[in-house]
Amino acid sequence: MGKKKRGHPDIEELLSRPWCYYCERDFEDLKLLISHQKAKHFKCDRCGKRLNTAGGLSVHMNQVHKENLTSVENALPNRQGLDIEIFGMEGVPDDIVQQHNQRIIQNFYTAQAERQAATGNPPRGQAGSQGPAKKIKHETAEELKKRLAEHRAKLAAQKAGGANGVPPSAAPTDGQSPAQGTAPFPPPQPAYLYATPGVPGAPTYPAPPTYPPTAATFPPGPSPPPGTTAPFSIPARPPSGAAQGAAPPYLYNGAPAYPGGAPSTVDELVANESRQGAGGDDIDQLIRMAEAGIKPAAGGPKNGPEEAAATAGEKKKKGSRMVYADTEVSPEERMAMLPRYRWVEGASA
Amino acid sequence: MAPATQFEATQPPNDAISALVFAPGTSRRLLVSSWDKNVYLYEVANSADEAELIGTFEHRAPVLDVCFGASPDEAFTAGVDHQVKRLDLATGEQTVLSKHSEPVRCVVYSAEHSLLISASWDGTLHVHNTADPSRTPLTIPLPGKPHALAASPTKLVVAMTARLVHIYDLPTLSKALTSSSTSPQQQQQQQPPQPWQTRESSLKFLTRAVACMPNDAGYATSSIEGRVAVEWFDDSAESQARKYAFKCHRQAAPEDEGGGDVVYPVNALAFHPVYGTFASGGGDGTVALWDAEAKRRMRQYQRFPESVAALAFSGDGKYLAIGVCPGFETGMEDYSGEGRAKLFVRELGETEAKGKGAK
Repeated sequence: MGKKKRGHPDIEELLSRPWCYYCERDFEDLKLLISHQKAKHFKCDRCGKRLNTAGGLSVHMNQVHKENLTSVENALPNRQGLDIEIFGMEGVPDDIVQQHNQRIIQNFYTAQAERQAATGNPPRGQAGSQGPAKKIKHETAEELKKRLAEHRAKLAAQKAGGANGVPPSAAPTDGQSPAQGTAPFPPPQPAYLYATPGVPGAPTYPAPPTYPPTAATFPPGPSPPPGTTAPFSIPARPPSGAAQGAAPPYLYNGAPAYPGGAPSTVDELVANESRQGAGGDDIDQLIRMAEAGIKPAAGGPKNGPEEAAATAGEKKKKGSRMVYADTEVSPEERMAMLPRYRWVEGASA
Repeated sequence: MAPATQFEATQPPNDAISALVFAPGTSRRLLVSSWDKNVYLYEVANSADEAELIGTFEHRAPVLDVCFGASPDEAFTAGVDHQVKRLDLATGEQTVLSKHSEPVRCVVYSAEHSLLISASWDGTLHVHNTADPSRTPLTIPLPGKPHALAASPTKLVVAMTARLVHIYDLPTLSKALTSSSTSPQQQQQQQPPQPWQTRESSLKFLTRAVACMPNDAGYATSSIEGRVAVEWFDDSAESQARKYAFKCHRQAAPEDEGGGDVVYPVNALAFHPVYGTFASGGGDGTVALWDAEAKRRMRQYQRFPESVAALAFSGDGKYLAIGVCPGFETGMEDYSGEGRAKLFVRELGETEAKGKGAK
């Protein structure tokens, strides 16, 4: 792949990069991905042997070390399972692929907005005066803001309504975004609440020219039958066309006029975006730094996924819960006061 | 690479484990103190994958801490019955060395100075000269209740309530003990030795464990709030700037329970005697190995069925003993670790606990 202008890869390039199911990190080519998986996720912590799959590692642990493997190392919290057989890009469930693509697309547009803000290039078109009928190439900062506001409202609604994803009150009012109410895009957190359903045909939203029809992004033709793929060929399981086709509309369908409630700056938006994505992106960052041999700026040893999750968790307003919270009296003192353990002078010899 | 295996003792203590310790040097003896009032002596055979129980020593009350003395046949115990005892592992003979007015939380033995130091919730340290047991122990009053105690070759670190940390110089204590009078009346008139340094803990919450670096350079503390701090004894500005703390032993709570984190106490810390890396054990039932120099986690072992209560490396650093039992949590009206305590011994691979060094 040749370099594009200013070194910013376009969306097809980003979407075609192979990526790791366990940690959401993406790679230049499949070979790198597979060696990453062998080193990070399928390496035996007893003898350092690198296996090809989690199943292989499990068998190895069982036979060589007589131990049972229960989870995949260095994996995101909800991706540690051994039940899914992953090799390179093979075996990744479709809904996960969809979530990943959406995250990539969203990050891409966020980064684009950030660049726009940073370079001071004027956004195309003015807020309020433009509707979806006008051919816009990119989402403007204002639209992103609106979308974020909606997204926040949705998150709030989800929080209020539990994990059921109750459609928020900020349902489409303009009749032009049917996808909005039914398919809120999930935040790019590792813990996806639900997969976005593919809504076929949202014709009112013109796909921007930079985003061509799905099939062009991926190797054409049907997926090769499983088992026939050579290990280091092109990714054997391209994401389904439905996923691709369905994803873009949600990203460009900012409601034309969203009154109030929008964040004040693009920076804020971007900051929020990166905070939302902390679960995934911090880990990526962590791994990258670890591999580059850079010490994390925070100073302390990093705790892998847990640490990243903890940081993200702390920033949220929900506090953490301490299993033992007494700051004056130690657990041992409490135990020593129990009748079971108490010592009474002279009670026994 | 040498094989790394882990095995479980077939005869673990009957109730919660309070402490465990390996004999110094190449001995494979392992002492475990328990809330069931017993001290258990195990021997890890060189080749067999088993920690064989070779003796139990019953006490009047739960035993909160145990340590080895000058030989693998000598041990000292800290009892809820306020007593500090010397235990002869060969004969089973128990001798009371001193009596506090509250349960004794910790005992630590300094082989370099033949000193036994006990810390009790009555807010005092007792310093015993084990070479001359007839001598009255030296009493040092503390400003708070001690919760953890650890000794390096020349220093003694006492962690107390209100986040106080006192560091005593062991040679000074030794001198104070020998110069102190044998009669208690006169001793009271003497000024007790002052700490070499007084510090405030780098952690905001109650200190749970302290462990000293084997190279005498510093120590690590852990708190009930899933955090570990690493500090250096040297109080120069550069050394103090090196200190750091980090979070660990936490779990993300499920979203439907409100999210956030479940934060577990870090119950145990142990430095590897050879490589200077250290292990932490938490209420989440995991043990992690850390490289204090490189500030990195080296490994995290698979979750144990209950909270990790105590950790110890063997004198040669080839084994790691892990005491596992239910943790006492806030809101518990009652607690019993009966039948749920387990003792694991992990044989470490040759480079398993070796750090990569600072980068």
